[in-house]
Amino acid sequence: MQLQSPLVLLSGCVGFGEEYTRIEGFSNRDVGAVCLKGTTGQARPGNAPHRVCETPMGMINAIGLQNPGVDKVVDEILPTLDFNETRFIANVSGSTIEEYIQVTRKFDDSDIDAIEINISCPNVKEGGVAFGNDPEMSARVVEACRAVTDKPLITKLSPNQTDIAANARGCIEAGTDGFAVINTLMGMAVDIHSRTPIIGNNQGGLSGPAIKPVALLKVHQVYQVARDHDIPIIGQGGIMTAEDALEFIIAGATTVGIGTALFYDPLVCPKINEGILAYLKQHDLESVEQITGTLVLNENPTLCKGKI
Amino acid sequence: MPQSQRDTIFLEQARVLEHQSYDGDQYILRVEAPKCAARAAPGSFAHLQCSPERPLRRPLSIMRTSPTEGWVDFLYKAVGEGTKLLSEREIGETISVLGPIGKNFEFHTDRPRPLLIGGGVGIPPMVFCAEHLKRDPHWSPFVIMGSEVPFPFKTRPSQIMVPGMPDAVIAAMPLLEDWGIPSRLTSLQGYPGCHEGYVTDLARLWLDSLSEEQRAEVEILSCGPHPMLEAVANLAAEYNLPCQVSLEEFMACAVGGCAGCVVEVATEQGPAMKRVCVDGPVFDAKTVF
Ligand SMILES: Cc1cc2nc3c(=O)[nH]c(=O)nc-3n(C[C@H](O)[C@H](O)[C@H](O)COP(=O)(O)OP(=O)(O)OC[C@H]3O[C@@H](n4cnc5c(N)ncnc54)[C@H](O)[C@@H]3O)c2cc1C
Ligand SMILES: Cc1cc2nc3c(=O)[nH]c(=O)nc-3n(C[C@H](O)[C@H](O)[C@H](O)COP(=O)(O)O)c2cc1C
Ligand code: FES
Repeated sequence: MQLQSPLVLLSGCVGFGEEYTRIEGFSNRDVGAVCLKGTTGQARPGNAPHRVCETPMGMINAIGLQNPGVDKVVDEILPTLDFNETRFIANVSGSTIEEYIQVTRKFDDSDIDAIEINISCPNVKEGGVAFGNDPEMSARVVEACRAVTDKPLITKLSPNQTDIAANARGCIEAGTDGFAVINTLMGMAVDIHSRTPIIGNNQGGLSGPAIKPVALLKVHQVYQVARDHDIPIIGQGGIMTAEDALEFIIAGATTVGIGTALFYDPLVCPKINEGILAYLKQHDLESVEQITGTLVLNENPTLCKGKI
Repeated sequence: MPQSQRDTIFLEQARVLEHQSYDGDQYILRVEAPKCAARAAPGSFAHLQCSPERPLRRPLSIMRTSPTEGWVDFLYKAVGEGTKLLSEREIGETISVLGPIGKNFEFHTDRPRPLLIGGGVGIPPMVFCAEHLKRDPHWSPFVIMGSEVPFPFKTRPSQIMVPGMPDAVIAAMPLLEDWGIPSRLTSLQGYPGCHEGYVTDLARLWLDSLSEEQRAEVEILSCGPHPMLEAVANLAAEYNLPCQVSLEEFMACAVGGCAGCVVEVATEQGPAMKRVCVDGPVFDAKTVF
């Protein structure tokens, strides 16, 4: 899948693709793709408020996959999107494998450009991260979705697991075409006066600059597995600037996701595009693919010479 | 979302023109944001980056605008980290302002007597409504404001008679007075000239003093703390009056993208979670209380 920019707008941050265009100067043409909000088989009302709050260098959210259900998304929302402006990626969720199949099948029979399987949502009781943290279940979900679509299939991996690379390996064998790394980290914020969690769901997903170092390492780890199969990674987690984006690309990402950064600066995308282009020019490069995974690790990092 | 809503919200690096502090940690902030000023309407809010240290924006209602001079006024209370950082911003600095946002208050010509009720930092949208209505003699609004910290203005004895008001309840907001719009104030703190009680007490006295025909011309518009809004909504239901309320909820994007700011709203299809930022902040009171 060829993209006009290496930037991808992240699921859950930009509604169903059109919301941010309310802002003058914002254009979906500035990004390579837009991931739509997580979609399930039936409409979901989502979690009780409060659903978002700011935390140091980031934020916690527990939306609970509020969405109108796949039929409405495909039949009523997709026809209103302008596919000339960018590519649109569906984000599929479910509580059972059957639901993942139902939603994927419906999107397969639509104009959507690609399908992202969200097995890493931390904010729902069933499915989501419960599947994503179990490598065997992850692979089963991917296999089941693979069987019902020929569209590019992206698996969104959870950072809340022990061995993300092993999970990635299973998903590759099950037929994924790409990865999104990472979804949010599980977290909590406490109101010390009421002594209750601030978030209605008690816990939520942490995003923003606070998670960037974690996300970078996970991208690096997944890249070690994905590289041999030529499987691209959408690197994401706290990217705010072109420099952040380049770090992810060097660590192994082919494209990079922008989510929380939009809440801070809704017009950040053209700035990141410009910064990446300036870097390419400075280093005499044609495209970001030339630097994907070019990270040079330090040798013998644990060994120090000399006596104490 | 229809494409007709494109390009209706503006991101501006707004210079601080004035920043005045008042008792009770209250501040009135004037910024230069000409695009926001030109398109804002009563009920609109803006999403401000209080400080780069706390980059997630905070929503604040718009109190006044000057489309010709290009400024926007906010009245806010420093309650937490974000608003405290905002209160430290000085004249000449710039603040990132995203606005105007939201569904506005609606005025219905068959209801020419809007009753505007503002509590605490719910006062700003009521001032915006009043300034909007003062332009057309069709409207005869009455404004009731309540606050448990000193009002962020020097109250003045009103020159405008209001039916039903006790003689001692005479304090008014000078700005509204200058516009020829009657206002009365309430507080439990016993401030001079203010009614010692609730905004709904005064509303009830006023409504009871109107004739049946006059009452049928009333519509209530309100913004303030949740318990106050609930009391106002109950009052409206009791008098069978239409009522619009402006709600608050924590926000991330403020443009409809994250579904972070929802409240439960009754719809024909049953209860639904609606976004305060773009489906509100103004809702029909019947659907939210
Ligand atoms: C549409 C709208 C209009 C508003 N208009 C005004 C106004 O004109 N004047 C005014 O003083 N206040 C107004 N508020 C409330 C104001 O946004 C909050 O007081 C402010 O966000 C608190 O931030 P903080 O960091 O100082 O507080 P903290 O308590 O430290 O905030 C922590 C988190 O909670 C959120 N939060 C806490 N209280 C509120 C609240 N009441 N509403 C929304 N988010 C909250 C913050 O955004 C932040 O993410 C409005 C809110 C909304 C939704
Ligand atoms: C408010 C909010 C809602 C989200 N909803 C979804 C979702 O529905 N599906 C999903 O796969 N990821 C969801 N995410 C995760 C983001 O897509 C992204 O992976 C994560 O936020 C990390 O990137 P960031 O730090 O740039 O935001 C959501 C994130 C936020 C902040
Ligand atoms: S704050 Fe994001 S939808 Fe309202």
